[in-house]
Amino acid sequence: MSVQTEGTDTAGEPAVRKTRIPGPPRGEDRGSRPPARRGTAAPYLLLLPALLATVVLLGWPLVKNGMLSFQNLNPRQLIQHLTEWNGTDNYQEVLTGSDFWNVVERSVVFTAVNVVLIMVTGTLIGLLLARLGKRMRLLLMIGLVLAWAMPVIAATTVYQWLFAQRFGVVNWVLDKLGWHSMADYNWFGTQTSTFTVIILLLVWGSVPFVAINLYAATTTIPKELYEAASLDGAGAWKSFTSVTFPILRPFLYSTTFLEVIWIFKAFAQIFAINEGGPDHLTETLPIYAFVQGVGNQHFGVGAAISFLTIAVLLVMTSYYLRMVLKQEEDEL
Amino acid sequence: MKRSLFGRLWPNATAVVLFAGFVFPVYWMFATAFKPTGDIISENPVWFPANVTFSHFEKAVHADNFWTLVGNSVTVTLCSVLLSLVIALFAAFALARMRFRGRRGLIVTFMLAQMAPWEVMIIAIYMIVRDNDMLDSLVPLTVFYTMMVLPLTILTLRGYVAAVPKELEESAMVDGCTRVQAFRRVIFPLLAPGLMATSLFGFITAWNEFPLVLILNKDNEKQTLPLWLSQFQTAFGDDWGATMAASSLFALPILILFIFLQRKAVSGLTDGAVKG
Amino acid sequence: MKRKLAAAIVIAGMMVSVAACGGNDGKDSGKDAGPDSWKGQTLTVWTMDGSAPPQWTKDVQAAFEKKTGAKLKFEIQKWDGIQQKITTALSENNPPDVLEVGNTQTPAYAATGGLADLADLKKETGADWTPSVSQSSVYEGKQYAAPWYFANRVVIYNKKIWAKAGIKDTPKTRDEFFKDLDTIGKKTDAEPLYLPGQNWYFLDGLIIGQGGDLVKKQGDTYVSNLADPKVAAAMDLYKKYASYSKAPKDKDEATPQQATIFAKGKTGAFIGMGWEAGTAIQANKAIEKDLGYFTIPGASADKPEGVFLGGSNLAVAQNSKKQSLAKEFLKIALSDQYEGELAKLNGVIPNKTSLQGNLKGNGAAEAAAPAAAGGGTTPLIPEWAAVENTPNPIKSYMTAVLNGKAPAAAAKDVEGEINKRLAQQN
Repeated sequence: MSVQTEGTDTAGEPAVRKTRIPGPPRGEDRGSRPPARRGTAAPYLLLLPALLATVVLLGWPLVKNGMLSFQNLNPRQLIQHLTEWNGTDNYQEVLTGSDFWNVVERSVVFTAVNVVLIMVTGTLIGLLLARLGKRMRLLLMIGLVLAWAMPVIAATTVYQWLFAQRFGVVNWVLDKLGWHSMADYNWFGTQTSTFTVIILLLVWGSVPFVAINLYAATTTIPKELYEAASLDGAGAWKSFTSVTFPILRPFLYSTTFLEVIWIFKAFAQIFAINEGGPDHLTETLPIYAFVQGVGNQHFGVGAAISFLTIAVLLVMTSYYLRMVLKQEEDEL
Repeated sequence: MKRSLFGRLWPNATAVVLFAGFVFPVYWMFATAFKPTGDIISENPVWFPANVTFSHFEKAVHADNFWTLVGNSVTVTLCSVLLSLVIALFAAFALARMRFRGRRGLIVTFMLAQMAPWEVMIIAIYMIVRDNDMLDSLVPLTVFYTMMVLPLTILTLRGYVAAVPKELEESAMVDGCTRVQAFRRVIFPLLAPGLMATSLFGFITAWNEFPLVLILNKDNEKQTLPLWLSQFQTAFGDDWGATMAASSLFALPILILFIFLQRKAVSGLTDGAVKG
Repeated sequence: MKRKLAAAIVIAGMMVSVAACGGNDGKDSGKDAGPDSWKGQTLTVWTMDGSAPPQWTKDVQAAFEKKTGAKLKFEIQKWDGIQQKITTALSENNPPDVLEVGNTQTPAYAATGGLADLADLKKETGADWTPSVSQSSVYEGKQYAAPWYFANRVVIYNKKIWAKAGIKDTPKTRDEFFKDLDTIGKKTDAEPLYLPGQNWYFLDGLIIGQGGDLVKKQGDTYVSNLADPKVAAAMDLYKKYASYSKAPKDKDEATPQQATIFAKGKTGAFIGMGWEAGTAIQANKAIEKDLGYFTIPGASADKPEGVFLGGSNLAVAQNSKKQSLAKEFLKIALSDQYEGELAKLNGVIPNKTSLQGNLKGNGAAEAAAPAAAGGGTTPLIPEWAAVENTPNPIKSYMTAVLNGKAPAAAAKDVEGEINKRLAQQN
């Protein structure tokens, strides 16, 4: 059941590697190669479609977005196709307001909480999968795959129903468990409770990816390593820290990186649950950019916020990106 | 290793609890969809749909243009997944197997591309598409969805290509194959499960997307299912039976696809790729 | 290697061609040569959910197609997110030709330059439009839209439940109304009133009833007036009404559609537009015979509660290439025959006083009429529309008060946001 979506790990190596013994993963030995590379143009030609797509479909909107962020763009300008440059006004408006910094702080905390929850739960479940017998493993795996495959919009709708004030099954259960004040509780009325639902939804939907892939990665760890470790008198925890963890480290890095991006960018889950409400209190950066830009029809300001959003994301992932740069450098 | 009874029991017990936790929302969606309204809005939840009804599904499917939207969604999703797989396969092969100037920069570029927050760029995309006269068309949707999944597809496939032992390729070439033939006959079959597994991400992204289609395609006949589902919810308000039926219909193809492709991906990987 | 290269190039070419061309599919040609060119064209009209009854659409369509030889396509729009949708649509080359715009939002769209000047239409058919209702579509002296219909809210109630509670007569004063709601709560298992926390049009009516307003002028700019004690008094009334309802405090009357809840027959009454009765009947045919209407009662029997005069205008997109056809449509749709039919079917106030005879016998319209004289609107300034954008700060204010916050404090919380939106340059 190995879905190697972890291909982005540091060295670009999949975690599946049967022949290798621990040690920090490195790039594969590229010393002995068949003389297969004739034309130096070949790799560039192979990459051409991908590059073209990136330039046209991502680069162009980014440049356009950058240009919009220096414009006064409201319905009148949009409708009449007017271009009104206004220098850095949009950025000043955003950066000097208190809203923006609150949202940045909220987004960072939100991302951290979610990613920690997802990685810890996912890892534990992944390790549990490795311990289970065949049948139980299949059962849990089915549960995980169903949660993973559930399309986000369907999932948010279902969560709204689960947490519905009237007739929602969650409130019923809490009531029956003796927490009677929850019988008619409105989950979308406060910031904390709305975030609780959103976090549950995100963790539920994201854990399977981590768990299944982590399990797949553990299957590639040779049994002999554990045997050797136990001969040295290592207990369960010791063999985890000395055998399992080092091998899984690149996988954990790359998955954390992906989860940071995915959670930080999460849009549909938050927006569909409560549109960033109540009172803007569950707006993370992408939602804030959307509400200010599209919702408020202040498109220039929205573009500026979206650029700042990208900047924040870059800062958050810079550690990993630097690591990749270095690794790839070593490899060549 | 010997384990105590407790040691053997708790993993299984935990697994059952976890299974229930992960499956319940999916189960509750289907269960609600099949229950008559009286059982849905009852003071005590009806855990199993005893009196099965299909009326909610009838209501869901009855929406205007439902089948047109299904067609649009399927077209857009399939096309963008295929397109991204093809483009990514070329790129992944180059990145995993060849050495050239700028390789490192490209890998980082794709990692950065992976971070693009699409939802906040939709006005820019809208203006580009509008100014090129391509609104109300499935083409921009397809290509932008392709781009949304392309970076991760490239990076993932690169891992799969690298995992195919080079010796296989080499021995094929020793046997007289050209590199292209070696790729087609040896590497590609081994990559197939990887391609399938990778395509899952594309399927789920393209099938789900709605902010872009909302702003680009105002023509009812050019919209996709996510819009139908989200409008359905406002239109039917607290009619949870119909809403859950619609959600079930929306989720079902992806659920089936995942279970199917997952199994394929497993058998392929264990039988083929890693054997060498 | 060659074949792979070829494939790469083909893909690359595909991407480019896909991105670069493909325009002009299905676009109508841009000529507008008057009646001769009408045949074969298709006119697209956007109406809002619930505005145009199916019978009316059918009749207008038939008349239009017969007269012009062109096709008419009605597209029903949802209120949710409509402002962004209209804004982007008006910027396009091929926008909907005619669109319904809410009266509170018309000045803003007029100011964007996206709506066509309808001076000639006004001259031809609009001489006797009721000036007070035509006012919202005039901006800087020009007619940017044609008044279509108006309506104010009434109480729609379930006769069966009221009879069960032993109430004989409909209430004439606010206090009687509250007493009746109490009785229903005590004597039946029905919810006395369905009133979600964010029905801000109802609140606006209460504010108008108190003689207050949502904004005030400060120098050259408009600022929030929510801190006014008159607004607080209106909000207290709202809170009193809401206490009879189990409806969510953080939702408006359209999510879920309150009429569909009412249609289940377990709600004593709700406050809504006359046409919402139709929505209820559509959801549950059996409710039709139990429907009744009365004017929202005020403090005393002689003066009904203040109401928000909602309404819609029909505008022509400036970018539409079918201006003459669009105006022809307006002439037909707003003609005495079809304007009258709309008033009759939906129980809405038509744009001419001469057509009000159509309302006779329509329970909802007869209940609405007494209050209309004391009705008002949101400020008719272009800056206003931005305040209504999601998330609407007035709605946040309402939810906060209903959750126990003091009106003054809640007003203070949203003032900044409202003022920011009112100051938003166009």
